[in-house]
Amino acid sequence: MNYKERLILPLAVTFLLLSIGGEVSPADASPSIGIVKKLSGMATVVRQGHTISATIGLEIWENDTIRTGRDGSIGIVFNDDTFLSLGPGSILVIDEFVFAPKQGKFSIVIRMLKGTAAYLSGLISRLAPESAQFKTPTASIGIRGTKFVTKVKGE
Amino acid sequence: MERWRDVLVVWIFFCLLTGCGAHRANRDLIVLLPDRDDKGGAITVTTKGGSQIIDKPGYATEVEDPNKPPTAPKPLEEKEIKHVFGLALAAQPDPAGRFISFILYFEHDTAKLTQESKNLLPEVLKTIKNRKSNEIYVVGHTDLVGTEAYNIELSSRRARHVRDLLVSSGIKSSSLFVSYYGKARPLVPTNDEVPEPRNRRVEIIVR
Repeated sequence: MNYKERLILPLAVTFLLLSIGGEVSPADASPSIGIVKKLSGMATVVRQGHTISATIGLEIWENDTIRTGRDGSIGIVFNDDTFLSLGPGSILVIDEFVFAPKQGKFSIVIRMLKGTAAYLSGLISRLAPESAQFKTPTASIGIRGTKFVTKVKGE
Repeated sequence: MERWRDVLVVWIFFCLLTGCGAHRANRDLIVLLPDRDDKGGAITVTTKGGSQIIDKPGYATEVEDPNKPPTAPKPLEEKEIKHVFGLALAAQPDPAGRFISFILYFEHDTAKLTQESKNLLPEVLKTIKNRKSNEIYVVGHTDLVGTEAYNIELSSRRARHVRDLLVSSGIKSSSLFVSYYGKARPLVPTNDEVPEPRNRRVEIIVR
């Protein structure tokens, strides 16, 4: 078994169990909340304890942690049209992302731990500005339809 | 002794790269940038010690101590923004893929479109058809004259009017998502009871 196969098997089992348990409802079966659109150097996504090398087109899920290497940068487009990019040496967690216009449910909560990021707000901060939050270790940023950059020195 | 010299060289080099000792290196920095369509965006930066609103593009605030409020917003030179954020900004995805938005304006206290906004409708329809969009958001607003309840109802009438116009032009109603906020979300912030034509609007956002 090579490295990839070893990763896929437990994932497949997890999915099977989840679907038997009825945790994944068919209406929103896809956990994808965004997609990697730009990439340079090394960047990874940590998902449920597994580290995935980022590639263009990789889907992003809620609770993913995004990391960039010393020479890395990454650009993500979320389902609600939020554009988020990270410069080198950055770590950021997507704590919450809900974009369900039919149910009127909106929420985006991003927690930045380290590095530099550029954020161009999407539909959530337009339709439900109180539900859009960007947190750093020292501050929380409320967003009303706009673009900003932030640098966090980390610990 | 040789080894200590190496350590010193590495340390100096590291400082040249990262700017050790530069005051700013120890602080978190947040900068508002000009938005593409520049529609009165703002951010509020809040620490345990207090908060600051930044509503001018190019202005920045810093947080050194989370128990103190962020510093008063000050303009930051473009050179400095590029220096710190250049690589993060270069990684922003291509804006051509973004949702497109339109603003339609209304006559005072009515759900009647201004003539100019009526003239904009063909372009809205063309955009929806070209993009083959099945996700169109119609969001109603009012200015700050009158009670909250009255304006909620007015913004709802405006949004429904635009939805009906789109449906009668052949857009499927299942593609349209209508919401309305009364006087709660002015485009141009004003005091209460101030008439402001730019706030009497419906925003249409096309995916």
